[in-house]
Amino acid sequence: MQISARHLDNTTIFDVTGDIDLANSPAVRKAFLTELREKKIPRVIVNLQGVKYIDSSGIASLVEGLKASRDLKARFILFGLSKSAREVLQLSRLLKLFEIYENEEQALSAESV
Amino acid sequence: MPRRQLLLRIQLMSNPAVLCGVRGAVSPLAGAVGFGEEDCHKITLALDEAITNVIRHAYGGKLERPIKIEFHKVNGKDAAKAGLEITLTDRGVKPNPDALKGLPPGELRSGGLGLHFMRQSMDTVVHTRVGSTNRLRMVKYIR
Repeated sequence: MQISARHLDNTTIFDVTGDIDLANSPAVRKAFLTELREKKIPRVIVNLQGVKYIDSSGIASLVEGLKASRDLKARFILFGLSKSAREVLQLSRLLKLFEIYENEEQALSAESV
Repeated sequence: MPRRQLLLRIQLMSNPAVLCGVRGAVSPLAGAVGFGEEDCHKITLALDEAITNVIRHAYGGKLERPIKIEFHKVNGKDAAKAGLEITLTDRGVKPNPDALKGLPPGELRSGGLGLHFMRQSMDTVVHTRVGSTNRLRMVKYIR
């Protein structure tokens, strides 16, 4: 798994590639929480186009990011979910709690919900 | 044809780094038994979650503890209905009975989803404790 960050005005975009599981979900969680809690970035966008597999520990990292963003009145946005990642989020019954878009352009232009 | 045929037996160490290797093995194995792509993904997810639970809870995150996994092809009452039985054994602590009840999904909580995923993905998920060994048996049948 690899995670890298791009910074636009008031926004951090994380590009995640590879599988997210117990071996690397702590690093993913830490990256999200650093941007939200320490750097106080008001909008964090996660590009999951390169993630073909995610398990419950990966979902937990996304949940931590979403919870932190709600606490801080920030936004936490996902885009580019693969079929299997979407299925796992659906299985968790958390799909509707996240702000999800098809691509980066939509994620960047979407008004706050 | 035997009702229960051993396909693969592997022994792992309780290290999260092994998860990707196990996923790489189980999906083609399930495919060879006759499962479609969606069910192969479900079986892979269930096994990943089962190993994750052993590492996190039975062994408390300690590395290099043994986890044994056996894969059997099984036949149901109807001979045409084959399935895959996966059995995990570990020598970790006995699970907390409350943890095995599972937690409701759909809440913004960062834990407790693994068991839900296993139960949603497989037809049978049974935990037993035999002496100092935890045993988890999961079965999925071809629809």
